[in-house]
Formats: sequence, structure tokens, C-alpha cells
Amino acid sequence: MIRSEQAIIHFDFARMRVEPDRLRHGRDDAYLAAAGLCLATYRQGVGRSRKSLHREIETIMLAMGNCPPRRIASFCKLLDDASEYVGDAKKAVALRRRVFGEAASMHPIVTRREGIFEHDLENARAKIVEIIGKPWERISDELFSDVIELQKLKSTDESIGPSDLLSRYNVAQTQAALYRASRVRIEARSNFRLILSQAKLGGLMHRIERLSTEPPVYRFDLDGPGSLLRKTTRYGIRFAQMIPTLLVCDDWNLRAEIVAPGKRLMRMNLSSTDGLRSTAPQPPTFDSELEQRIDAAWQKAPISGWTCRRETEFLVLGQSVMTPDFVMHNVVNGRKLLIEVVGYWTPEYIAEKAARLRRFVDQTIGGTSPITWLLMFEKGPLPESLCALGLPMIIVGKRTAPSDWLTAAMRDILTGFPE
Amino acid sequence: MKVIITFHQGTLRVAGASRGLIEEVCGGVPLVWDDRDDIWRCDAMWAQMLGRRLSDNHVGSVVWELSPEGQSIRIPDKRSVKLREDQVAAVDAFQTGGRCGLVIMPTGTGKTVVAIDLIVRAQCSVLVVVPVRDLMYQWHDKLREATGIDAGLIGDGIHRVSPISVTTYDSAAIHMPRIGDRFGMIVFDEVHHLPSTFRSDAARMSPAAFRLGLTATLPTDNERLRLLHQLVGPTLYQQSIAGAAGKTLAEYTVRRIAVRMNDDEAKRYRELSKTVQSFVREQRELEPTFRWEHVYKLSAAANDNPERALEATRATKAFRMKRQIEERAEGKMRLLEDLFRLHAGEQVIVFTGSNAMARDLSKRFLVPCLLSHCAKRERRLWLEGFSSGRFPVLIANRVLDEGVDLPEVKTAIVLGGMSSQRQAIQRLGRVLRRGQGDRLATLYEVVTEDTNEVNRSRNRRRNQVYRPGRQP
Repeated sequence: MIRSEQAIIHFDFARMRVEPDRLRHGRDDAYLAAAGLCLATYRQGVGRSRKSLHREIETIMLAMGNCPPRRIASFCKLLDDASEYVGDAKKAVALRRRVFGEAASMHPIVTRREGIFEHDLENARAKIVEIIGKPWERISDELFSDVIELQKLKSTDESIGPSDLLSRYNVAQTQAALYRASRVRIEARSNFRLILSQAKLGGLMHRIERLSTEPPVYRFDLDGPGSLLRKTTRYGIRFAQMIPTLLVCDDWNLRAEIVAPGKRLMRMNLSSTDGLRSTAPQPPTFDSELEQRIDAAWQKAPISGWTCRRETEFLVLGQSVMTPDFVMHNVVNGRKLLIEVVGYWTPEYIAEKAARLRRFVDQTIGGTSPITWLLMFEKGPLPESLCALGLPMIIVGKRTAPSDWLTAAMRDILTGFPE
Repeated sequence: MKVIITFHQGTLRVAGASRGLIEEVCGGVPLVWDDRDDIWRCDAMWAQMLGRRLSDNHVGSVVWELSPEGQSIRIPDKRSVKLREDQVAAVDAFQTGGRCGLVIMPTGTGKTVVAIDLIVRAQCSVLVVVPVRDLMYQWHDKLREATGIDAGLIGDGIHRVSPISVTTYDSAAIHMPRIGDRFGMIVFDEVHHLPSTFRSDAARMSPAAFRLGLTATLPTDNERLRLLHQLVGPTLYQQSIAGAAGKTLAEYTVRRIAVRMNDDEAKRYRELSKTVQSFVREQRELEPTFRWEHVYKLSAAANDNPERALEATRATKAFRMKRQIEERAEGKMRLLEDLFRLHAGEQVIVFTGSNAMARDLSKRFLVPCLLSHCAKRERRLWLEGFSSGRFPVLIANRVLDEGVDLPEVKTAIVLGGMSSQRQAIQRLGRVLRRGQGDRLATLYEVVTEDTNEVNRSRNRRRNQVYRPGRQP
């Protein structure tokens, strides 16, 4: 991510909208070539100081004629983020210690020797060179080599292409605009659990509203504990940190409340169709192999009149949320079967699972039709703490079919079920 | 009714209280109903008032589920120092003033001594918040000296939280949501740094019952001062620099010396000035209300107005290069050599306006410079070396501007800096500590003639302690 002083944000006071800086195909095609030159500068610049690389990037970008300084600074930051520098602080400190230690007795080092001032610069340097055993140019070069702008480039990520760099720029500017966000609303049609877990990871608080049942659409209103007490951008960076994850999700839109200059509130919109590309890895489709098998079993033998979707329901208790692994839904009578997969066997995992289920087992989903639970295991014996919950359970073998799940869950929900 | 109060990310969650109870007994505490959690919520800083309201109104069962570390601890007193009269007065003012408030004493009058006395008296967990890392380590040393306790450190890549800890403002604002309730007392050293949007969270998110703010210079604008009073408390003790001079501080003098640019510098400076001036003139023709601050916005508007953005970028670059010439004029190097000769055998601190200048000087005179990149051990090396007299000169940019204790330094040279009166006063404070003997302290202020540095110096002089009238 770039720093806020590198952000370029367009505040549209007429429409009260915020647009992060964005390089676009067509209008900004010149940047593709410039990005290529920047990457080449870094690739050929191993051994050069950060400061000199940044100067060259500035020259390349300014040659385009209309590149704002913040855009240049952002490119330098993104290139640095994809690179590694060396700055051996220990070595530099040791050198400074020796140089200044040896020179202390010669103070003041004057331009020309005169009277009691018998140490001139040339003379003093010669003495230091003799003691250290390196030419002055090298000493001078290494003396502050640990200072960030003087650190030397060690390597750079060779896999990034010019268009990747431009993509990173666009994402980074979007994130930087969110640093000023006081709250964020996300409406999503998939990846609900991933979105919410990212929010929780950032310590954000939520309000969740279901906008549609089939297909499920959720609205997440996100902010922080202090947001209720004042307009604060304290959580802005946490919203920004969610962006790479959001970009790997499908079908969502985001609306952020941005605190603009003069504390005026503006809006920023973003969606999965805006063409931003994430560098974050794609989320794993399943949390465990058992989940994958369950999904495969459903795909192989689905039951007519029922749907089975992964992680599409939220049980909400204040700021605690539970997302059952699968939800089977009877499209005729609306009944729901919540499936929780017990994929691991460590005592901590089982205890945590039992505690969570105990809290949520009596919850309803938006006051809709009654729900039933089914716990699925890969093997026995079934843990006592989970048995104590009195919920239907099934061990999922290789030949267990979805119809077996329903049978195990409860006979009364089989009403209206195809034979 | 059972009211349960918990600390949640820098706020207090109040559960089990009805609206009636809140309205009836919690007047003055800005509690807000939080429908996300079905509780009442307020900033942690209101803990004391909330506690008082609930206990004054005999609300049945109130359970505070804050960290047990926020409670009393035993802090040994291993000090041998005896407080001066003015320090005793400051301590008394804090103790009798509700133990929440500001103590204003000039640099060099021993604010830290006062604070440590109050910490020892409080006998509870304490977080000391300081502006820079050097001060963090300095406080750590002083606390160990005074109490024998190896205090925790939060900042500079260290996260060791102990019942007595020291941190920086930025680290405090970042970590307070997690550690805020672990301290019964909070001390803000150089408290004038507190009232900014982000940093103020360091106070807002702390439920500490005892809140001490120390500074030599209160904010001058009422809004910031009002915020400071709300976050920490009222001003409980104030001693002016003029009142302390000669008694607890050394007598001092400020000497201003102007250096001329060489021909090349002057020519280049004129060219760059022309670029800046013609840009400003053109912008004012387009927009009469144009001010220089608008240049950054213009240079960012490359998509909307590429030509104007390009001109703005050129002007910004010219402005930056002008500043470099002012700050790094060759004449300053020459003058510095003369001052080093004049004060040969004395300890001298040099303040620069940039890290690059500090490094240039360091390389030219082969003397250490203390910059933000220096890690703890190196900082200590230079500071101790300077204290012991091993290094006759120490160069710094902003690191030494405030707080960090230095030995008796009677000579400081300011080669560059901002217009800020506060920075000027703090830098002056570096040379004013009264040591043995009554020798006059001298602060040299070196400016490049016919440049904006002269204006910046003029701005600094506006403070009464810095005005020309004090010159001999």
C-alpha cells in the first residue's frame, strides 16, 4: 500500500463524490511504456541507491509531460515494495563509530591549517583512510549506507510486467482513498464468509442485512467501535486492507463514506466490475478435504427440489457470527438444513466448535421457516462434547449420498420430499 | 440490575443499563446506544466520571471488567534527588488538583523529575507517552534509576508491555485499543503533541484515572488547548521561561548571523525564484485567490488540466531546490567552521533543517550526527559520547528538538529549520539547562541572506523569549 501523502484523490464537490486516481486504457497508454522503463531501471539497477533510482523514475515519469509528483512517488513506493534493498546497519554503525571516534581528537577540522588548528580536511581524511584501510570515496559511500534513501538495491521482482505495475498503482490509489473512509457498505452475492472474516480480522464491527434469499444477497455495514462516537477515519486503513480480498471475490459493490477536506462527507463507489486486479491469491474453494467431498457428492447426486449452497447463511448474535458450511434449502416448503462439517480432531477445535454450536443452535435465520442442523464427520468415534448437543450427526463415507444426509437429519423434514 | 463495564478497543461498553438509568445518573458522560452490540458505549477516557456517577447514585451492582493490570502496583522509590521548590509546587498542584491536568515548566527545569515523583506517589501501573524514540529510551533509563524497574517499551520495533511502560505518541495511538486499560496512570511528555486527530486517541482510549500532561509550550490556538484540557485536564501548574531564567535555567543570548550565497548559488536562486514567481503570478491572473498551498492540488490534477499541472510540478520542484540552496549554502559551512574554531574545546550542538544537511556536515567535519535512522544503541553511543566530552560536536535534525536530556551545553547553532516558534523555543531549551557555573548560554541562528530563511527566522522571533530585546 502507498502512503497517504502519495494518494491522489479527486474530490467532486458538486456531486459529493470521491474518485481515486486511476490510469486508464487509451487515455494513459503512455504509462505502459513508462512503467516498462521503470521496471527496466530497477532490474538493471542492482547496486544503485534508492535515492538515485527514485531520481531516475522521476525523470522517466516527468518525460511524459503531465505526471504529478504524487504519482511518481507512488510508483517509486510500489517498485520499492517489489524489491529488496541492502543496508547493513551494523557495518555502517561500526564504520561511523571508527571514523568519528578517530576524528574526535582532530576537532575542529579546518579548511586550512592555521595556528593552533592543525588538522585540515585533507590531512584528517588521509589519517582516517590509513586507519580504516579503505579509500575515502568508499568510506564516504559506506558511511551512511544504512540510511533508507542511500540503501542499495539488492533485487527486484522480475515477474512483474508493465501492466501489473499499472494495476498495482490503480489498486493502491483506491486503497489510499479509503484511508479517509469513516464507514463502508458492501453488498455481495458470493464469498460472504470471506468478506466478513476479512472485516473481523481487521477488528471492524458489522451490521448484516439479507437483501435477497434466492440468490442470496447480503449487505455488510462496516465500521469500528469508535465510529459511533464521532466521524473517525481511524479504521480507514482496515477498510483499505480488505480491498485485495474483495477484488478476488465475485459480484459485489462497495460504497464508502469519505471524510473530505473541511470534514465534508462524500461517497466513493467501487465494484467487482470496475476492472481492478488483485495481487492477492485466490481464496481456497474449500476449508477441508471433507468439505470438498461433500460438495462433490452433492454435485454427483443432487436432490430434486433442494438446493445446496456453501456458506450462504449467517447466524448473528450481536457481533458474533456463525456461517454454517453448507445450507440445504427445500424450494417447495422453505425448510432449511444447516450442515456443519467437523473436519479436524484436535481437542481445541472440537471444544471451540461445541461452544459455538451451543451458542447458535437455537438461532433462526431472519425469522424464516424452521431450521435443522446436521453435523458431518469423516470418521468416528464422535466427540462427546458434540454428541451432548443432541444434534443429528452423520459419518460421511465414500458412498454416503445427499439423500442419506437428509435421512440422518430428521424424518419430519422429509415431508414433501421426492421418493 | 447488574451493570457490566468492559473495555473494547479504546471504548467502554456498558451492558445491563436501562435508558432510564443512563439518562438519570450518567449526565455528562457522553454514552451512546450501540445497536450493533446492544450496549451503551463511550470513549474510555470517561471511565472516571462514569464510575463517579454510578457510585454517587448508588447504582446497585457495577462490575468493571477492565484489565487487572490497571490496578495498584508497588513502585519502589530509589531516588536520591531532592525536589526543588518549584518542582514541589508543581507536584502539590497536581496532587491537589484532582490528579488530572497539565504541568507547564520550561525546558531544563526538570519536568521529568516532577513526573517521576508523581508516578512514585501514584503507586499504580503507568504508561509514559513521549514524542520520539530517544526520549522513550531516556525515560526508560530514568524510571529504572528512580524505581529499579525495567520498564516496558512499545515502539521502535519493540512491543514489551509491562505495568510501567514507555511508548511514543504514534505507537500509543496505534496500540491503545488493545492495551489502554492496562494502565491506571498516563503521562504525556511534551503534551502539545497530543491534540491531533490521530494522536489524541492515545488519551481518548485510555481509562487511566491519573492523567498528567507535561510541556514547556502550550498550544496557542484555543481549539487545541480546549481539546488538551478535555483529554488530560486543566492547567494545574505553570512556570514561564522568563521566570525560570537565571534561577533554574542558564542566562542566555540569541545571536543571529546572516551568510551570503556565493555567485553560483545566488544566480541559481534567482532563476528558481523567477520560475516560482512567474508561476504564482500566472495563477493569480487565472484565480485571484490563489495561494502557494494550492500548488499541490494543481500538480495532482494531471488528468483535468495537464498543462497547468505540469507548470505546478515545475514550480514545486523549483521551490524545493530553492529551499535546498537556502539550507545548504556554502557560506554556512564556512561560518560553521569559524564557530567551531571560536568554541574549540566546548561542547556544541548543531541543528539542521534536513537530514541531508546533517549528513553533509557530519562528513565535512567528521562529527557524529543523530538522525531518525539511528537505532537505540547508536543513539546512546553518540549521546553518551557527547555527554562524556569524547565527541565535541553533535549534529541533529529534529531528533534533539525536544525532551532528550543533554549535558550542560552552552552553545547551540541553528543552521536551518521551520518557522515554528515551538521548535525554536525547544531548541533554545537545549542550551539553557543550568549546570555548574553561571556561564552565558548562546544560541547562534544562521540564516542565508536574501532568502526565505530570513522570513522564517523573523517568524520564530515573534515569541517573547526569542525576541531581539533579549540580545545583549
